[in-house]
Amino acid sequence: MKNLILLLLFFYLLFIFQTSFLAHFPLKGYIINLLLIVTFLFNILEAPEKNKGIFAAGIVGFFWDIFSEKFIGYHILILVILALLIKTILVRYVRIKIFQRA
Amino acid sequence: MKIRQLPGSNIKLILVEFLLPDMRFNFLKNKFLLLIIAILVVFFLNSYREGFYQKKIKNFFYSLSLPLQENFWRAGIKISDFFKTISDINNLKKQNEELKLKNQELLSKIADLENLKKENEILRNALGLGLEKEFNLVMVKVIGKDISRDVIEISKGLKDGISKDLPVITSQKVLIGRISEVYDNFSRIMLISDKNSSFSAKISGSEVSGAIKGKGNFNIFLDFVPKEEEILPDETVITSALGGTFPEGLLVGKIKEIKKSDIEPFQQAEISPFLNINELDQLFVIVNF
Repeated sequence: MKNLILLLLFFYLLFIFQTSFLAHFPLKGYIINLLLIVTFLFNILEAPEKNKGIFAAGIVGFFWDIFSEKFIGYHILILVILALLIKTILVRYVRIKIFQRA
Repeated sequence: MKIRQLPGSNIKLILVEFLLPDMRFNFLKNKFLLLIIAILVVFFLNSYREGFYQKKIKNFFYSLSLPLQENFWRAGIKISDFFKTISDINNLKKQNEELKLKNQELLSKIADLENLKKENEILRNALGLGLEKEFNLVMVKVIGKDISRDVIEISKGLKDGISKDLPVITSQKVLIGRISEVYDNFSRIMLISDKNSSFSAKISGSEVSGAIKGKGNFNIFLDFVPKEEEILPDETVITSALGGTFPEGLLVGKIKEIKKSDIEPFQQAEISPFLNINELDQLFVIVNF
């Protein structure tokens, strides 16, 4: 539960940083989506059998829905499905030790 | 863990309370039940009184993050200004000379316009016409930008008299966009560069008109300009009264590049917008026009 609260707080602050600070630094018109990068890294670097990455995807999706015009659930669904997909690919097809160490 | 009971939603909330102690990170064991509850909650949030609770939740999070967002937004402006100054330092001398020349040109134009203004006032008085109504404005602060769209968030909403579709401008009369969504204490502005944005505009000082469309990532273009009309780079584009979305005469941008094709009935032009995300701090919502 403590981990979950820490994750929530971390992504909440990251979201405010992304929407209010990073918005001023577009690279050729595009703004880096730090949240998507962190979510992907979370899921790729974590041991495939663990579930924190899926939680992280859900939390990012929730805040993304809060800070966008979409209904609550839209980005949660997309990101959780993506996280599950990454996990499935890592478990079934990837055999590199670095991914199994964490 | 105690959760407040919301009216008309007993079953769903009791289930959430029942599941939470056992969930932790082994929630996949109950994934089917969890999925059903999640779908029910999402369905409830969206359907009950047209998303009433959803709006309340979003409003709560915005109210909570408002002070932090304001500080981050200002820090972003300052830091990006600092980096811009460093990168622009080589061009400053050249720019300064150009600006001096332009300043002289503008001063002579101002003198001409002053004369015209006086003439205009005399004619208006003679014809018994009143001066044009000024806009009714509400000042707002920008607090954030949507991640995936050209939409920004401002710190005022329904409680401050803001409603959907109202135009938003800067103090220099540069058009920013229109209100796309309103909550109790904050609103969202769809910038003119958003892919869903489209409105009629014309070239300043001529009757050539077309439609400004957003391309995303702060880019806009002028479309539906008849081929036979001549448009030139650096001409200023302003809003036109056609369509009634925006008041006439608000600044949009300058023509950057013209695109003509033999097979297309209309010509297009890339516009360099006056809208600059790093200069958006305080904006004005036109409440009536």
